[in-house]
Amino acid sequence: MYTFLSPKTLEDARGFLKSYPNLKIIAGGTDLIIGLREGLFAPDAVMDIKQIPELAQIKQTDEGLEIGAAVTVSELLCSGHLSGAYNALKEAGLELANSLLRNRATLAGNICNASPGGDMLSASLVLDAWVETVTPEGGRKISLSDFFTGPKKHVLKPDEMVIKTVYPKHQGKSAYRKKKRIRGHDLAQVGVSGLLKGDGVLTLAFGACGPTPVLIGGFNTKTQSRAEILDAAMNGISPIGDVRASKEHRQEMARYLTEAVLDALEEVRK
Amino acid sequence: MKAINLTVNGEAHKVFCPENITLLTLLREYLHLTGAKVGCAAGECGACTVIYNGKPVNSCMVLAMEAEGAVVETIEGEAKDGKVSPLQQAFIDNHALQCGFCTPGMIMSARALLDENPKPSRDDIIHAMEGNLCRCTGYEPIITAIEQAAGGVR
Repeated sequence: MYTFLSPKTLEDARGFLKSYPNLKIIAGGTDLIIGLREGLFAPDAVMDIKQIPELAQIKQTDEGLEIGAAVTVSELLCSGHLSGAYNALKEAGLELANSLLRNRATLAGNICNASPGGDMLSASLVLDAWVETVTPEGGRKISLSDFFTGPKKHVLKPDEMVIKTVYPKHQGKSAYRKKKRIRGHDLAQVGVSGLLKGDGVLTLAFGACGPTPVLIGGFNTKTQSRAEILDAAMNGISPIGDVRASKEHRQEMARYLTEAVLDALEEVRK
Repeated sequence: MKAINLTVNGEAHKVFCPENITLLTLLREYLHLTGAKVGCAAGECGACTVIYNGKPVNSCMVLAMEAEGAVVETIEGEAKDGKVSPLQQAFIDNHALQCGFCTPGMIMSARALLDENPKPSRDDIIHAMEGNLCRCTGYEPIITAIEQAAGGVR
C-alpha cells in the first residue's frame, strides 16, 4: 500500500521527491493506474501533481509554447494553441486513445511513459521540443532527442520530475499520420510525423519503429527527391514484429505513412 | 484509510477508504452505486464511464484519492422522480441495448455530450462515443437513440 500525496506547491512536491525515494508521479494516471493494478511497480508513495497551479497552465512565451505537466490532451486540443507548425501535435492528440482517456491523459505523462509508439512523441520530436524538470536541489532542460533510452525508459533520475514541455516557434508545416488495427481506439502500429520548414528543411520522426521514437532530420526538399528522402528515412528505422504488426508490415506502413505525411506537407515534389 | 470528500449526483459524501482504490471501486463498494460497471478496468471499454467535473471519464482510470472535492454524476442520477430521462427513453425506444452491460457508460458519455453540445451532428456523436464499446447492438441503434434524444427536451 502506498501513501497518496497531493502537494499544492512545487516546493512541497520537491520535498516529497526527496523524502520518498520510491515515489511514482500521477498526472493523468492512464498508464500508472494499470501498472499499479498489475503490480508492475510498488511505490511507497503516489504523488498527484494536478493541484499545483503552474503545472496546469498552457502559455505562449518568448521561448515558444509551454505546456504544464498536468495539462490533459483534451485541454491541449481545446486550447486553440495547436495551429500552424504545431499541427502535428494536434493530429497526434486527436489520435491518442479515445475521448474518455484524453480527458485524463496528459502530454507529459505520454512523454514520460516513453512507449516507443506513444502518439505525442514523434510529433514532439520533429517540433524539437524539450522538457523542463525539477529535483529536490535543482532542475534542467532535456531535449526530447536526448530523453528516450529504450522501451518505456528515459533519462529522468528517480527524484526528478517533468514540470513542463516546451515547443519552440517554427515557420512551416507539420503533420502526423498513424496506422492502427481498428478505426477506433488503438495504439499505433506505426506513427509518422514530419515538419517542413519554409527553407525546405524536412525533419521526420517515427513511432513504433524502434526501441525508442526515431528522429531523422536533415532532409532538404529543395535538393532531394521524394524517393531519396523515403529511402534514407527507411534506412534509419528498425521496427520489430509484435502483437500489433509484423516487422515487414511496419516497414511497409512506415513508407506508406511517410508518403502520406509528405503529401500533407504538399511542397515535397514527387 | 483516508477520508475523501466528493459530491455524487448532487449529494455530498465523506468516505473513509484505502488510498489505493479507484473511483469506480469507491462508487460501487463504498457508496453502493453499482450502475458504473467493471469491464476491462484498464480504460479500454467505457463501461465504467461517469461524468467527472463535467467531463466523461473512465472511473477505473481515476484514483479515489484524486477525487477530493470532485463533482461526479453517475447513471443513478439520470432518472428523476422515478421517471427515466428522455435520453434513457430514447435508448429503450430504439432498442439501443441488449445485455445492457455497456448502457450506463453509454448513457453517461451521451449525457456529457448533450450537456456540452445539445445539437450534435452524427459525426459528433460517433466521436464522443468512441471510448464506449458495445458487443450487442452494432452501435447504430445507440447513435440513433442519441440523435433522437438530441431532438427532444431532457
